Amino acid sequence: MRFTKAIVPITLCILLLSLAVPAQKKGYAGKTRAVVSPIDTEALKGLLTQQRERPLLVNFWATFCDPCRDEFPDLVKIDKDYRPHSLDFVTVSLDDFTDIKTSVPKFLDQMNATMPAYLLNVTDPEPAINLVDSRWQGDLPATFLYNEKGEVVYKHIGRVNAAELRAAIEKVVSKKGDGQ
Amino acid sequence: MKTRNLSILLASLFVIAGAVFAAGARAEGEVPAPPAIGSTIDDFTLPDVDNKDRTLKSLAGKNGTVLIFIAVQCPVSNAYNERMAKLAEDYQAKGIAVIGINSNAAEDASAVKAHAAEHKLAFPILKDPGNKIADRLGASVTPEAYFIDPNNKLLYHGRIDNARNPAQLETSDLRNALDAALAGKTIEKTEAKAFGCTIKRA
Repeated sequence: MRFTKAIVPITLCILLLSLAVPAQKKGYAGKTRAVVSPIDTEALKGLLTQQRERPLLVNFWATFCDPCRDEFPDLVKIDKDYRPHSLDFVTVSLDDFTDIKTSVPKFLDQMNATMPAYLLNVTDPEPAINLVDSRWQGDLPATFLYNEKGEVVYKHIGRVNAAELRAAIEKVVSKKGDGQ
Repeated sequence: MKTRNLSILLASLFVIAGAVFAAGARAEGEVPAPPAIGSTIDDFTLPDVDNKDRTLKSLAGKNGTVLIFIAVQCPVSNAYNERMAKLAEDYQAKGIAVIGINSNAAEDASAVKAHAAEHKLAFPILKDPGNKIADRLGASVTPEAYFIDPNNKLLYHGRIDNARNPAQLETSDLRNALDAALAGKTIEKTEAKAFGCTIKRA
């Protein structure tokens, strides 16, 4: 009888704990926290030069960069409009590596950004910057659009003009998948 | 004859349109190109944090001058505060002056002064209203450094070193340039891309 009496609160405690554990994995407002993966120069090279079936949009940014933050809502809209059927889109943060689990995913969550997110994990950013574009000085934000052949078909250093970027994307996305 | 003139006109328009398209397609941002290594930087006058006009000439070191574009709020620039203070201290004794320039429109002289005091930046810091000097030097980020010799010839342009985090320091590009110049040697690396926060222009 005593055992039967005790099992009710124990069961309740277990039930409450089981609810609490997944909640810790969630961010604020109950949304899943964005996962930011580290990427080094070699991996970035692989990402940019690999054979692909769809055009690739890459945005380099950082949480400390005001124009990067300003343009992000536009990028999230573009991602939602195109990535489901006709475009690959990744972001590469140039924040400090220690921000990979803090300010970077926090900002992505605030933006409701769901595109694959990377953080450049290098001791020297210069080789990575040169790899992307030898004429790029590394100033942020920087946005590059590659076609299926891996050729840069559009680039913009500074806050992107959403209409201009959309026009560039429209030129390269496959019409086959549109509207699906 | 009329047809020939029309053809020339159309060809000219085509070339102009092509040039405009190419410029638009480049979309490199609005920062002017920096001066080439070896070119001369003209003297300039800017107000210091007490709003007193200072010329480059009056602040220059006898063996050269380092100009560093810095910021109050940029975490990358702030990561270099101690290194910049040490750089100024180390090279002042060797006749090289360090001058900070703040071109961020949103950071006023009082904020720059308070920031310098807080972080013990003992070198002169100038405000650059309207980012005229940032434009003249093609500076785009903070921190971004320029090293000029006593004749204002540009010897080095770019980053202070490779790493925002001092624990990951591998290459002290600016110090290497200063040491080479002081030793009368050729500077091996005259340019290294500066990484930091975009200068907030007016």
